[in-house]
Amino acid sequence: MTYRTERIRNFCIVAHVDHGKSTLADRMLQLTELVDVRHMRSQYLDKMDIERERGITIKAQTARLPYKPLGDVADEYLLNLIDTPGHVDFSYEVSRALNACEGAVLLVDAAQGMEAQTIANLYLALEADLEIIPVLNKIDLPAARPDEVAREIAAIIGGDPGDVLRISAKTGEGVVAVMDAIVDRVPPPKGDPEGPTRALIFDSIYDPYRGTLVYLRVVDGELKPGDRIRLLATGFEGEIDDLGVHAPEETAIDALGVGEVGVLSAAIKEVSEAKVGDTITLAGRGARTVRPLPGYREPLPMVFSGLYPVDSDDFPQLRDALDKLRLNDASFSFEPETSAALGFGFRCGFLGLLHLEIITERLDREFSIPLVTTAPSVRYRVTLEGVVDGDTGEPEVIEVANPQDLPEPNRIAEIREPTVNAMILTPTTYVGSVMQLCEGRRGTMVAMDYLTEERVELRYQLPLAGIITDFFDQLKSRTRGYASLDYERGEYLAADLVRVDLLLNGEPVDAFSSIVHRDEAYAFGKSMTEKLKELIPRQLFDVPVQAAIGSKIIARETIKAKRKDVLAKCYGGDVSRKRKLLEKQKEGKKKMKSVGSVEVPQEAFVSALRTSGGTGD
Amino acid sequence: MSPVSPPRVVTTPAARAGDRDWVRSPVECGPAAGFGVYLHVPFCHHRCGYCDFAVAAVGGLDPARRDDLEGRYVAAIRTDLARQVAAGRRAHAPPDAEHLDDRWPVVTSVFVGGGTPTLLSPERLASVIASVGEELDLAADAEVTVEANPETASVELFETLAAVGVTRVSIGAQSFTPHVLATLEREHTPAGPLRAAAMAREAGIAEISLDLIYGTPGETAEEWDDTLARVLSADVDHVSAYALTIHDGTPFGRRVARGLLPDVDEDVQAQRFAALQQVLGAGGFEHYEVSNLARGSRSRSRHNLLYWRHGDYLGVGAGAHGHLAGRRWWSTRSAPRYVHAVTSAGGRAWGEGATPLAGSEVLDDAQRAAERLFLGLRVREGLHPGDLPPIQPLALEDALAAGLVEIACGRLRCTEAGWFLLDDAVDRLTA
Repeated sequence: MTYRTERIRNFCIVAHVDHGKSTLADRMLQLTELVDVRHMRSQYLDKMDIERERGITIKAQTARLPYKPLGDVADEYLLNLIDTPGHVDFSYEVSRALNACEGAVLLVDAAQGMEAQTIANLYLALEADLEIIPVLNKIDLPAARPDEVAREIAAIIGGDPGDVLRISAKTGEGVVAVMDAIVDRVPPPKGDPEGPTRALIFDSIYDPYRGTLVYLRVVDGELKPGDRIRLLATGFEGEIDDLGVHAPEETAIDALGVGEVGVLSAAIKEVSEAKVGDTITLAGRGARTVRPLPGYREPLPMVFSGLYPVDSDDFPQLRDALDKLRLNDASFSFEPETSAALGFGFRCGFLGLLHLEIITERLDREFSIPLVTTAPSVRYRVTLEGVVDGDTGEPEVIEVANPQDLPEPNRIAEIREPTVNAMILTPTTYVGSVMQLCEGRRGTMVAMDYLTEERVELRYQLPLAGIITDFFDQLKSRTRGYASLDYERGEYLAADLVRVDLLLNGEPVDAFSSIVHRDEAYAFGKSMTEKLKELIPRQLFDVPVQAAIGSKIIARETIKAKRKDVLAKCYGGDVSRKRKLLEKQKEGKKKMKSVGSVEVPQEAFVSALRTSGGTGD
Repeated sequence: MSPVSPPRVVTTPAARAGDRDWVRSPVECGPAAGFGVYLHVPFCHHRCGYCDFAVAAVGGLDPARRDDLEGRYVAAIRTDLARQVAAGRRAHAPPDAEHLDDRWPVVTSVFVGGGTPTLLSPERLASVIASVGEELDLAADAEVTVEANPETASVELFETLAAVGVTRVSIGAQSFTPHVLATLEREHTPAGPLRAAAMAREAGIAEISLDLIYGTPGETAEEWDDTLARVLSADVDHVSAYALTIHDGTPFGRRVARGLLPDVDEDVQAQRFAALQQVLGAGGFEHYEVSNLARGSRSRSRHNLLYWRHGDYLGVGAGAHGHLAGRRWWSTRSAPRYVHAVTSAGGRAWGEGATPLAGSEVLDDAQRAAERLFLGLRVREGLHPGDLPPIQPLALEDALAAGLVEIACGRLRCTEAGWFLLDDAVDRLTA
């Protein structure tokens, strides 16, 4: 069944994790009777295991909802729900998905109120000029404070608090009103059916059997199976094998016209050939003159980490696994690197910490490769002293993502570090504590706005390096979980940064080096030496553990020589137990890495490098 | 063209390729060390917080039930021994010991351990000991040891034991410091062990040993020195001193995990061990094995040496371990289950039907080599060259260079430092 453009509504749901986005989507699917109740699993649209477990959406999904409003005698409407990724790491993907819509349902938990992430996505939606339909969810909860939260919403988007719809996605109450509001208020798509074909890629996923599946929204013209297409940014050309829509299971379709949302496959081997934000057009002579849709951007990794197999024999498997993950995820990059301490591995770039966690978790879960992950770092811009770029005459600037690559201090004119513009929403009670945290991470306050009497929006410029360790955990614990965080990348700013090296028995261990602010170097050195002292077993001789900036020692601990073995005795002729303990100990020793003359257990690398895993939410 | 010279083979006393004489015909180890019987009596008044042995606390049982359990246990241990002996030696040996015949060697040592063996009535304990002579040939000069707790000691008890051939008692003194005894949950006073030793002497027991524990949380260096001084003043021939080990599954382990009890300190234990060596050494004791000291070589514990020399022994009773020529086996640790298994086996042979056996293993050569080393190097004079398993030249080099072992007259033995770090030494030698 085809729909006239004016009967199409493309919309998304902007919501915070746990505010009921998936439940509302499930309820809409049920209302349109597209999903048999027997096949209904909760969070129907979240397809990856990790997504369902964590309750977040990483990849955008879509669903086509035919809907006939009550009392409307004409044809039914086609509502396309474009589900957006729900994490700050993926804000670019969110913006592309929003660009495929004309409207957004702003879904807010009536008990929790607005969260920073929701506001950030709301701003993206407003930037994309979407019609916003504010909705309060979970009004059936005893803790719901709908009037207050409605005022909060009105304060941000303008309008009357009384216009905010009130629903319970769980019971279904008010969901029809939301669908009617989408039909009434979201404008139909605009586009030129006769113009050269242009379609926006808002997501692409890898399917082992069909190659890359491209999620698209037709802006102008039309796409049909068999069409030869060209992707403007990557230059890929190929023939459309399958063209389909999600209803919500994939269903083949003859054509997609202006405003329609669907999925195509065209023997695209890697997702990196069909990047989010790229424009699809028809191949041929005219393709070169087609104007790309605005807003395309190359994915840019922000957080870097070295991934090393615990067992060096796993290196080829790790390479294969990374290759496979890359097929599926164009925003993640890797290149081989070596570490004297950890052997062969890869320096990988991620969009953010959650992205890093997802990749390492998938490596573990889907490929069973135990990994050592070095402390996450950012990419610094280092201006070299007295070196001038031959072409521009400007001082030469290099980018450094691995602390090992930082030149000697006397060769550095300036180091600049990436910053983020962070937005934190917190109850007013915790403002002091949050400010203290931000200032502790070298943040500069940009603005402070009282949204209501109880809630404050703080804006800070923070070094990215300051928030990729345990910032989020700290924020949550200081505010009893009430604060929320969102950030976007900011500019590069000069800072007084130094590399702190760690030495075992006088020898530097490259895997432990970190770039930190000079003011934090002593505290960092002290905590690392203390940690390593605990983690490295006593050897036959005293082992000094030192932290150093260049040749200057800034912290020192000593691992005292081992004095006495204390393994089990052989009481009553039980020799087996002692032998088994020794065998186990020997197994453990095999996993030790020799750093000079010091035996360091793999576990020491893992634990010393582990940060407390602050991810966004 | 110059001839290619063959690779130089470094021969050390320890590396002789391909030969299994150290397994098949050892000089001092294995069968050459004698043949023993270990009998386990698991009963204790209560289980001490650090103990992870096979123990049955009977202090809380009503007297009739306790008497019944003890009576059935003694019967079971006798039946078990008779059945193990009747099964013959080959039934206990590993498949590669085809050179062994079915006859049992003469028993050179018997050890009754626990638990608290002396918690049994003297008559029952005597019947346990006597069972060895009833089932096997006992050497005329066999060492027969019984462990005794001070609070159970009496001249009558020791007389009864002497009468059934007990030559040696090992008294659980542990410490002479009241608060250390309290921490260890021992029920005797510091004077108890000395009184017990005197009673044993009076009853005509030839060899008397004291058991000590060092490194208990709260024990000071002075208190340990005081304990050692008390040992020197006592009329004893032998001392076994063990570093307190806290195991996870014990009440101590749980208290350490919860932060209620400080864990043992490696450095403190090393200091206590050094003091033990120094004080008792100066007092005329020979430190002949890591944890054992004797007044002269004649007072060494033959049964203990049998373990360290990789010897053969039967293990009888709950949780007891046996060893024969590279095969090890052990019984269930629960006393009631042990009694049940032995009793319900009826008239059947050992190993058939319900059996108290909880497990067994046949050691491969690498495991035997590791055992030979970690057991043999516990003894002062180390291992005879003919008893040494093959050691990789580089591994030997490493252990020598680390100063943990030395070679003297072809024997491999621990250095002073190596005795403190024996596990490390063996780990290097078996690399």
